[in-house]
Amino acid sequence: MPANQDFVSKVQVFEPHKASLPPLIPYIKEFWRRRVFATELARFNDKAEYLGSRLGKVWLILNPLLLGIVYYVVIVIIRGGSDHNGLTRLNHLLIGLFTFYFAQSTVMAGAQSITLGGRLILNQAFPRTLLPFSCAIQAFREFLPTIPVYIVVLVIGKWVYPATQIAGVSWNFLWIPFIIVCIALTAFGLALLFATMNVYFRDTNKLLTYITRIWMYLSPILWLPSSLHGKSKLLLYVNPLGPALTGNSRIWVDDTGLSRNVILGCIFWAVTSMCVGGYFFISRERDFAIRI
Amino acid sequence: MPEDLAVRIEDLSITYKVSLESKRTFKNALMRASLRQEAKMRTIEAVKHMTLDIPHGSVLGIVGSNGAGKSTLMRCIAGILTPTQGRVAVNGKISTLLALGVGFNPALSGRDNIILGGLASGLSKDEIESKTDEIAKFADLPDGFIDLPVRTYSSGMYGRLSFSVAVTMTPDILLLDEALSAGDAAFKEKSFERMRQLCAEARTILIVSHALATVTDLCDQAIWMHKGTMLAQGKPDKIVDEYLKFLNVGTLPSNYEDM
Repeated sequence: MPANQDFVSKVQVFEPHKASLPPLIPYIKEFWRRRVFATELARFNDKAEYLGSRLGKVWLILNPLLLGIVYYVVIVIIRGGSDHNGLTRLNHLLIGLFTFYFAQSTVMAGAQSITLGGRLILNQAFPRTLLPFSCAIQAFREFLPTIPVYIVVLVIGKWVYPATQIAGVSWNFLWIPFIIVCIALTAFGLALLFATMNVYFRDTNKLLTYITRIWMYLSPILWLPSSLHGKSKLLLYVNPLGPALTGNSRIWVDDTGLSRNVILGCIFWAVTSMCVGGYFFISRERDFAIRI
Repeated sequence: MPEDLAVRIEDLSITYKVSLESKRTFKNALMRASLRQEAKMRTIEAVKHMTLDIPHGSVLGIVGSNGAGKSTLMRCIAGILTPTQGRVAVNGKISTLLALGVGFNPALSGRDNIILGGLASGLSKDEIESKTDEIAKFADLPDGFIDLPVRTYSSGMYGRLSFSVAVTMTPDILLLDEALSAGDAAFKEKSFERMRQLCAEARTILIVSHALATVTDLCDQAIWMHKGTMLAQGKPDKIVDEYLKFLNVGTLPSNYEDM
């Protein structure tokens, strides 16, 4: 009888884990086997959130759209500078905000998924990573409709202000799935990290609202990556979303491909975030039923 | 592990630390660090050196006062908690009802919640959908209630639905923690009938209950746990008698004092 085959075989053996991590291969297999639970949980949470409110989902798009317009007014109009390139700055701002919101929702909802999943955690044995994962799926489902909205804004912007710089259809757009996957992995890893912290320190989420706000200001959303020079360019790479948001803006607005540094930066942050967050979470998840 | 055993528990101990702070926050941690104080923790020995074999087809009742370690033991058998020492081997598919209203989102319908609860316990969506009507029927939900939000259910309906989900998933091993308190006398009788049926199919049931009549009526074996230690194992009548004597007298019988 194999030892420590948690979750998988008909005969299951539960023993103290000698290392702090459970055997990873059975864990990952079980995670994959139960992925439908995560997708359905995301679907049902989405349904529950907007049940009986038809305008509810519209706010998912309206919120970043209006916020983008507010920031645009602050940055371009009130500051006194005019945008010589039509609505180019607005386009950069919007794609940055839409994408950042995807990452932020994954982290914020994921951070609460364990403390809010009380009964499920007390009653069932399953890989707990499925709960933050379902938040990532839900955030992605909410992010997808913002892309067509963004395209509509681009087209209208170009029509009203022909000087607006927009990307034409090009091979560069093939980088978009790569960027989205990197952002999703980075945000999921951070969600795992903060979800664990939230179990031990219940004010983590309160802190997270400030952290994400500062994170947004430090990301190339309200400012252009090209406005950084010399050593200050490092700011783009010490920020987990910096390379991905830079690449995103280059593809959508500048119509250029990804530089080697951006590609490596995206991969570095996705891998680091998953490894650190995953280790922190999985090594402590057997403690959750006691702590929550 | 012999094939006739559903659960084998060998020298099982479960120990964990709990914070004595009312709420653990960064703010408190920072305050403590600035005062160079250490976090006040308490070590709980929830289960101590327990060894037990549970054969297939048996109904085991677990009795004991609050804090005896009954729920911790059930969670360890379910794989929710990891042993600190020893091992637990479980032969078969487990269904649990250890916290009432599992997977239940009050804004969603009963049907949606059944699907979520079933998926969480590892069943496929097709498997669950094929059983949804059977679950609703067993739970005695009035017509149409299965598609109404769970927040519109009475507490009895809510409890019956939870129980119904757990017993309809054809588990090899069913773990119930105070789950039989849901529902009226008629539902209780129906629940007993369903559990007898599960036993006839050689499925194994573990019940934690403070309702001692449930243990004597339904179980063929019982154990008595006290402060993490298994004090006695035997026929339910005998175990319940000893436990009742302890409850009335307030001290352990002399033959248990060394345990």
